[in-house]
Amino acid sequence: MNASSHTPSVTEEAQKQTMKHSCDHHAECMKIIQSILDDEATEAEKDHFRENMDKCLPCIEAYRLEKCIKESLSLKLVKKPCPQSIMDTILSKVNS
Amino acid sequence: MSVAMSESITTNEYTDDLRYEIFNREFMPHIDSMYNFAFRLTMDEDDANDLVQDTYLKAFRFISSFEQGTNAKAWLFRILKNSFINDYRKKSKEPSKVDYQEVETTYNSEEASDTTYTVDLRADAVQELIGDEVANALNALPVDFRTVIILCDIEGFTYEEMAKILDIPIGTVRSRLHRARNLLKEKLKSYASSMGYDS
Repeated sequence: MNASSHTPSVTEEAQKQTMKHSCDHHAECMKIIQSILDDEATEAEKDHFRENMDKCLPCIEAYRLEKCIKESLSLKLVKKPCPQSIMDTILSKVNS
Repeated sequence: MSVAMSESITTNEYTDDLRYEIFNREFMPHIDSMYNFAFRLTMDEDDANDLVQDTYLKAFRFISSFEQGTNAKAWLFRILKNSFINDYRKKSKEPSKVDYQEVETTYNSEEASDTTYTVDLRADAVQELIGDEVANALNALPVDFRTVIILCDIEGFTYEEMAKILDIPIGTVRSRLHRARNLLKEKLKSYASSMGYDS
């Protein structure tokens, strides 16, 4: 296995050092992150996201978590088909 | 009962043929989504069957207040939600007393920002969870919080559509969703911990 895939490059290391490890306005950022993922963000929220989201570790982590939960809800939950008998009952009552 | 999505209730004079056509073309394609919504609200198969049936019969009865070309799915979800509140919530098998108290307490602080609120949960831990575990975490939420997550994350409604379905302002949709997601993270966290995914 290629060892370099596990070792962060010099550039990545340098980037990490300039990153914020705590966020002073995390509650506000959480709202923006959710708006972005829900495709409901305003232009101002999108700008804030673009400018800040690659510089703040807690926000990057939060974005990953929110995205993962949202995807789990839409992809992992079993969707049952409506029983045929219910559809038949509805159609027969409507048509009677 | 008003089921119109718009501010003023419009009544359309549809012919019988058109009523059946609208019903089959616009309403029936949403029946699986409606069934799943009903099941996730009532958490009981018989109640879900009755709720879907009642909702579709109501939809047919009030079809003249449905405007063709508008969002049929949101219109149907709104009727189902109202039927659930009026007819099923009371006899729901949920431990309602505890839930209502929890909901009420949380609602009173709904607009208050929970600035320091974070749940120590990693995306990798959530990725490990299977569908049943995610479903159980969702089902453990009080029904009003469960509802906003279903509408947004499972059914993909916009905030505006959710506001109409739930009869609440968009600001309340946002804050309720935010609060619901924090609660869900707590539940997911306890599942992840019990499975040893968070170590």
